[in-house]
Amino acid sequence: MADPQVKSGDTAKQATGSAAAARGIDSSQEKLRNYSAFDAQLTHQALNVQMFIRLLKWTKPYRVTLISAAVLVLVSSAFMLLMPIMQNRVIIDMILAPGSPTANAAMADYGLIDLTEFLMAFLQIPGLAVALILYIALFCVQSLLGIAQQLLLTSGALKTLRDLRVQLFASLEQKPASFYDHVAVGRVMTRVTSDVDNLYNLITSFIQHAGDFVVFFMALFIMLDFAFDLTLVAMLVIPFCALATYLFRMAIKEIVRAIRDSVSSMNQYMQEDLMGIEVVQLSGREEHNFEEFQDRNKENRKQEFRQINFDVLFEMVNMSLPSIATAAIIWYGGGKVVQEEITLGTMIVFTSYLNMMVQPVTALGQLFGTLFRSMASGERIFQALDWEERLHEPEEPYELPERLEGHIEFRNVNFSYLSSEQILKDVSFKIAPGEKLAIVGPTGSGKSTIIRLLARFYDFDDDQIFIDGIDLNRMASHDIRERVGVVLQDFHIFSGTVLDNISLNNPNITRERAIWAANVVNADPFIQALPDGYDTELSERGHNLSQGQQQLLAFARVLAADTEILVLDEATSSIDTGTELIIQDGLHKLTEGRTSIIIAHRLQTIQECDRILVLHHGEVKEIGTHDELIELKGIYYTLHELQFQDSTRAAELTQLTPEERARRRARWVEMNSGSDDPTGGPGMGPGGIGGGSPVRPI
Amino acid sequence: MYVGSRGGAARSGFGGPTRERSSIKHLGHLKKLLPYLKRYKWILIICIFALLIQRWCMAYFPQLMRTAIDSLTYDHIDVNLSGPALGMLVLVAIQAIIYIPARRVLRRMSITITYDLRKRFFHNVQYQGPAFFNLFSTGDLMSRAHNDVNQVRMAASWGWVQLATIVFTLCTGLYYMFDMSVELSIYVLLPTPFVAITGFFMARGMYPYFRERQEAQARVSTLAQENLNGIRTIQAMAQEEHEINRFRQVSTEYIKKYYRAVRYQAFMGFAMSAITTISPLIILGYGGYLVLQGEITIGTFTAFTAYLMMVTQPIASIGWSLSMFTAAAASTERIFEVVDYIPEVKDSSGSSVEIDEVQGRLEFKNLSYTYPGGATKALNNVNIVLDPGETIAILGRVGSGKSTVLRAAVRFVDTPRGMVYLDGHDICDYNIRDLRRHIGLVPQYPFLFSATIKENLTYDDPSRGDEEIWEAAHAAGLDDAIKDLLYGLDTIVGERGITLSGGQKQRATLARGLIRQTEILLLDDCFSSVDTETEERIIEGLHAMRSDLSTILISHRVSTARHADRIYVLDNGKILESGTHEELLSKGGYYADLEAIQSNQDEDRSKRDRLIEKLQDEQVTAV
Repeated sequence: MADPQVKSGDTAKQATGSAAAARGIDSSQEKLRNYSAFDAQLTHQALNVQMFIRLLKWTKPYRVTLISAAVLVLVSSAFMLLMPIMQNRVIIDMILAPGSPTANAAMADYGLIDLTEFLMAFLQIPGLAVALILYIALFCVQSLLGIAQQLLLTSGALKTLRDLRVQLFASLEQKPASFYDHVAVGRVMTRVTSDVDNLYNLITSFIQHAGDFVVFFMALFIMLDFAFDLTLVAMLVIPFCALATYLFRMAIKEIVRAIRDSVSSMNQYMQEDLMGIEVVQLSGREEHNFEEFQDRNKENRKQEFRQINFDVLFEMVNMSLPSIATAAIIWYGGGKVVQEEITLGTMIVFTSYLNMMVQPVTALGQLFGTLFRSMASGERIFQALDWEERLHEPEEPYELPERLEGHIEFRNVNFSYLSSEQILKDVSFKIAPGEKLAIVGPTGSGKSTIIRLLARFYDFDDDQIFIDGIDLNRMASHDIRERVGVVLQDFHIFSGTVLDNISLNNPNITRERAIWAANVVNADPFIQALPDGYDTELSERGHNLSQGQQQLLAFARVLAADTEILVLDEATSSIDTGTELIIQDGLHKLTEGRTSIIIAHRLQTIQECDRILVLHHGEVKEIGTHDELIELKGIYYTLHELQFQDSTRAAELTQLTPEERARRRARWVEMNSGSDDPTGGPGMGPGGIGGGSPVRPI
Repeated sequence: MYVGSRGGAARSGFGGPTRERSSIKHLGHLKKLLPYLKRYKWILIICIFALLIQRWCMAYFPQLMRTAIDSLTYDHIDVNLSGPALGMLVLVAIQAIIYIPARRVLRRMSITITYDLRKRFFHNVQYQGPAFFNLFSTGDLMSRAHNDVNQVRMAASWGWVQLATIVFTLCTGLYYMFDMSVELSIYVLLPTPFVAITGFFMARGMYPYFRERQEAQARVSTLAQENLNGIRTIQAMAQEEHEINRFRQVSTEYIKKYYRAVRYQAFMGFAMSAITTISPLIILGYGGYLVLQGEITIGTFTAFTAYLMMVTQPIASIGWSLSMFTAAAASTERIFEVVDYIPEVKDSSGSSVEIDEVQGRLEFKNLSYTYPGGATKALNNVNIVLDPGETIAILGRVGSGKSTVLRAAVRFVDTPRGMVYLDGHDICDYNIRDLRRHIGLVPQYPFLFSATIKENLTYDDPSRGDEEIWEAAHAAGLDDAIKDLLYGLDTIVGERGITLSGGQKQRATLARGLIRQTEILLLDDCFSSVDTETEERIIEGLHAMRSDLSTILISHRVSTARHADRIYVLDNGKILESGTHEELLSKGGYYADLEAIQSNQDEDRSKRDRLIEKLQDEQVTAV
């Protein structure tokens, strides 16, 4: 992708024979460097308050919803705590054991006893019935509030994160090409998906746990209200519980990571082995790979075993502590009941509350896990949002006319990417409307850069590139791209139908127009041969299309968009001759009457163009028609000779009468697009050009 | 309890195809796991027995509470607090002693089972042929190995114990309840079957909601991924705004589905707790009435509440356990579909030919083949003879059957006996791995592992020395590229390393094939992504390395094929024409046509060398 020599910087020192190899290294190394810059800025702070506040700002449109949810958490917790009081203070103390020595002790009941007495008198029914009704009422109110709270919270949090996700996506969508030169797409991708999901977990689990702690403190308050010293006795276990949770988390932290690593290493290994299974079997590596997989499998088992030891211990502690506390309450609280300091019901309320209180403390350990993960996620999201790297856009973009004429001028263009090495040096040329210009030159000469500049993928200085005499920098990049159609070497297939891939979901492109475009560039026959024609679903990366077919789709896509200017980077890889002829023909029709710049690799393509520009080390070396340049006996001549030196044959080919050439072409096109696919693999109709091979490439 | 960490892994796991909802009829598949459990039979029995004791301890707890409470309530009973309190501590201690080792052993066992399953899974997959891989995609297999195995582990670690102890807990809980008051017990237990039924339907009813949510989520990530991968196209075609709008729609759809799932859960949760609350209400109402009547004590009254918890909890979880078991059963089926799959291509059971020395004579005799499910013959009476030391080229358009011929020779395509012969013996008589040791195939699609170049090139035999590697790399025209890499041979390539260009990948796979120096080498269109000049160099390298070895190569280019001793042109699975370059040219058929059209790619070595010399300072390497 990234232009080869572009950022070679120091590595350019030895530009040995294979420039193609240099391309691979340079861009990757560069990618690594800059991409780590993208990630290195992360602080990995455990508790990032600023980030949290920023996240809160995003909740603003939904704050009524979220605040209501928070209020409901408080109310429903309060009702939840009243239920044990109802059961024990009212039913046991007041109704069932009124005669017991302790019943008269003045303990708090939060008006429940009075209410019961009032209802008994008012409704003329026994106390037990009243208590039951109250209990049911409490339950219903508490549950319904709980549901309302959960739904409000979910809806608020989900909408907040939808907004955040869309905003993040929008900002990524508009990042300039230079951004994607450095940043690995996979890493950016997780920010849109799992990082946002992590934040959802953060918001919901935060409020949920906050709710638990509301219960904790309310219960604590009520207990203190009942009996101070008994509360202390009951609370004795809480510090142990907290300590156990903390120790457990610490102990397990490293193990959890080791398990995760071992699982992913196992999965990666298996996935790669499966993808390369043919090579594995051809190399006779089956046993060897099995053993390597077993190493990973064993490591995983080892780590899982380690985790169990801690898990089991922790489970046990969690199970035992409430029981121990209950024993303490019975022993100490029972004494107080005997001394008539508290009622029996109060003592039982304590045991009920205890179970409610232990749970949030042990859950705290989990909350921290979520918190750490989410903080990191939040940081990554906001960093991507903040990443200030955008194209320089004019403040008042020039209003382009309905239709451009198609003059292009490069005027002393000098350009370099981030690094110091200059890619284009004083490049000047003009193209008249409707003219086709072929650019040729060795790898790394800056050919692709010209395309990228014209498509306004990068920033460059003013007064360098003009379309119809207007400085490109005075136009909005969006407007330019609507007028300049770009066909890149690697055609990207999006999952969706063939039609979607031609129209790119642009509502302005009708079905008829898309089909017309496909027809013009010779894509129609193979599309018709697909199972559902234009409505055939293409898999991502277009595995069910051959390279030639993808190329034709790319042509159709640009033709449908009907741009005044066309820039095209011809694919280099060789396909069978028939397909190639069809592509040539499609290309010919595509460029007809359109100002075109073509980075050409093939003789036919070059010969179809009006003029040829030879680029070498970023400089325009030669420009002119084929005959002029051949006459010049310069670089083009050399390149031409290198590729087509068998002059007699080249001559023979050029000397063929137009009819003969057309006949040969037609013969090929017919042979390769119309005939039956002999392999007829399942799921693939008649293959068209390069029909599918029935054997799945493993 | 620690679903957190694992849930995360499962979520980010592998998509795989959408699976059917598991149902009870799947449960039978679980018996496939029995052989894995048998080894641990005694451990299992001891552990379950131990856990039963532990459950009994739990069940005895409310009895102590009851004693203490009654002693506080009624004047005629002496106050007895330290007894029950101490008793509770003793129970806790006993539980700990039992629980820790028993639970540990059971969980270790479940992990060992998953370990065994993965092991067999991977091992079996290693030996499968194309038919298998056409049936199961990589994503599907990964999902089976990961998600399904985890599902089984859940059932193995929780399920068995749960099942055994649920029954026991129920029994003890019920025993104490009935012991205290038969009447109250009957009333209290009336609603419990409904709890179980609701729980079961709830667990099942969740499924479509979750599936919809999952699918909506998948759409969000698919859209994001595609957009970012194709960002240049989107930007070049100025489609950003449409895409952002589409993304907003998809995201909104996702949160809608998510919300729906949560809402369902919330309402079902309400229904569930409403039903489970009926029993406590009965205790409060009827039990309270009985207390007032003096038929039961207050201690009994509170103990009942505690037992109720013990009884309803397992009942409520019956639904959950059941759905977990059915899911595990369905997973078991999916795992064993793979584990029990028998490779179609097997070593023949009869006497196999020992090969020590192979001459390198490969013969295809009336080779015909139809792909399973294919309507027409992919190959029809193909006769090709490759003599030792010869090079043969096969030409033909896409789908003409070229690859099938090569794949038949290494038994990637399983042709019947009597069609392919190596040194005069039917290849079906050879041990497959021996066969592949002597016939090398470089497949059409270059695949490199995420490992160093060196490891990739010496994939069959890591002990190869650097000298051999450089020789192969040189022959494949890859040596310059390797030298340019920062870490040379130790540079990591592939998915997690440096991305090589298509041509470099192709040359690397070629080098991997060349290094083996097999008596027969089959090259399946290995030059499509390299330019003509490099191709020329590679052909030269091929000549040097394989001068007395046999080679078959597939190509689109006449310039490649012309160097071969013989050329075969395939069309529709039949040999259209064959002969030497000159013979075919003079025939004026398909090959001659091809030659005429491709002549621009033809090369004249001496002339080109001269030009290169002239231009060396210019460093023009390729157009």
